[in-house]
Amino acid sequence: MNLTLLGPELVLVLGGLALLLVDLAVPAARRHLLGYATAGGVALLCLYFVANHGAGGAAARAFGGMFVLDGVASFFKAIFLLSGVVVLLLAADSSPRLGGGITEYYALVLFALAGMCLAASANDFSVMYVALELITVTFYVLTSFERSRAASLEAGVKYLILGALSSGFLVYGIALAFGASGTMSFDELAKHSPELASNRLFQLGVLMIFGGLSFKIAVFPFQVWAPDVYEGAPVPTTAFLAIGSKAAGVVLLVRLFGFAVPDLALHWEPLWMTVAGVSILYGSLCAIPQRGLRRLLGYSSIANGGFVMVALSTMSKAGSAAVLFYLAGYLFTVLAAFLVVGVLVHRVGKDDFSVLAGLHHRSPLLAAVLAASMISLAGVPPLAGFFGKFVVLRAVVEQGAASHAYFWLAAVAIVGVVISFWYYFGVIRAMYWGGDAPDLTPIPISPTLRGAMILCLGGILCLGVFPSAIWEAAVAAVAGLGI
Amino acid sequence: MTIGLAHYLLVSAALFGLGLLGVILRRNLLVIYMGLELMLNAANLALVAFSRFNNNLHGQVMVFFIITVAAAEVSVGLALIVALFRRRQSTHVEDLTSLKF
Repeated sequence: MNLTLLGPELVLVLGGLALLLVDLAVPAARRHLLGYATAGGVALLCLYFVANHGAGGAAARAFGGMFVLDGVASFFKAIFLLSGVVVLLLAADSSPRLGGGITEYYALVLFALAGMCLAASANDFSVMYVALELITVTFYVLTSFERSRAASLEAGVKYLILGALSSGFLVYGIALAFGASGTMSFDELAKHSPELASNRLFQLGVLMIFGGLSFKIAVFPFQVWAPDVYEGAPVPTTAFLAIGSKAAGVVLLVRLFGFAVPDLALHWEPLWMTVAGVSILYGSLCAIPQRGLRRLLGYSSIANGGFVMVALSTMSKAGSAAVLFYLAGYLFTVLAAFLVVGVLVHRVGKDDFSVLAGLHHRSPLLAAVLAASMISLAGVPPLAGFFGKFVVLRAVVEQGAASHAYFWLAAVAIVGVVISFWYYFGVIRAMYWGGDAPDLTPIPISPTLRGAMILCLGGILCLGVFPSAIWEAAVAAVAGLGI
Repeated sequence: MTIGLAHYLLVSAALFGLGLLGVILRRNLLVIYMGLELMLNAANLALVAFSRFNNNLHGQVMVFFIITVAAAEVSVGLALIVALFRRRQSTHVEDLTSLKF
């Protein structure tokens, strides 16, 4: 057994426990410093992990094959840890608003990160279940952390009910899949993949597991929670939900369909395409009338989840590499947007379009970061979002030779992009041409958040202008896939 | 008559369906939460039955994980519902209206 493979998970869990103990010795006025210290620790862990495992390499297993560290797992762990750093910085900056027990918030973020890293390496149904629940249960607390605010509690309860419903489907699906195959291990499933693909009971089980995972990614049929929870939850939690939780669902789908039962995935093109198409159209159309940034980003996250599903629907290596690249671009883009939303909510108190008027006078940096993020989400060159959408569509069109349905899927995706121009550019118009602003006082931004914003801005630009390094890393990461 | 796998699965599917109906039809958060627990227990029954008829113990081990995780989930969930009740004096879903679609 190779315990060193679990390094990041162990460090995160022990760090979270240590944080709770250190909290006792730190006076309340200085507790936000613990948040900065934690963010620094996670940043170091991320650098250490990327330096040691960034290159991918052969898959290494631990615990009798239940835990695997391969290219896909390493890529996703880097995404999770990086998002954790920014989320912790944002949480430390907004500690007065989050109220008492702020150290518990940092510790819960670390536990959720541990769950995500474990999910990236899950190679067995039981590890997958425990990792997912570790993420979901910590998120129940994180979404309802502002106990004194009714919206936060309500978001927490909505997340709780839908989360528990989806885990009910997940568990029943696991039971049926286990019943049909007699094993929990993904390696064993992969050996029997061709027979299992035609087994009705197994198909039903995997369909229910798919339903449970679609909750985490916020795509059809479990997408309804996203806008409400995004709006009500504390902003750092929302940022974490938008990238960390979504990527955890995606990595499990890649693991399940790419490694364990590739034969089944190939039979399910219509399912993938329906989920992808409905999510993109639903997210894009419902975002149009929104006047709050967080609700808008909630619907946008459903549409972006749809794009990930478009790439997964190809079930090719190019499509899977596109998923990885898309999420890397989405990481910087969506974190940049939520850093701005966080500053607006904490300093101005609102995030609707009315406060955006004159934002470029009040804080040029906020306006520039939000504009870059929206342009990237819309998919305009030369930013990260453009190249992400480009590789996804290229993978789909390449697959069009096999089935003409892929051309229709590409057409739906392009329609979704065109609709999304309307609301993403609505945000930019509100900032720069929003008419007279009622209030022109500058908005203060703390130096750490300024640094985090510049980091995200740099990420958006780099992935758009020099995408080759990350694209090659994504291609190398998916080399071991069974499809 | 011997009790076979199909009988266990029928009971388990019925429990799952009842739990799901409870979640969809009931309007009280606590009763909805009971429905969710019923769904988890339906899965537990199916896992134990499959484990017995597949002649291995993986399913039984999974049941222990599910029971433990469900306990954690319930404690967090009930705390959340109590916090909401203190704030709103109600546990009905119709009263969850501060976040509108």
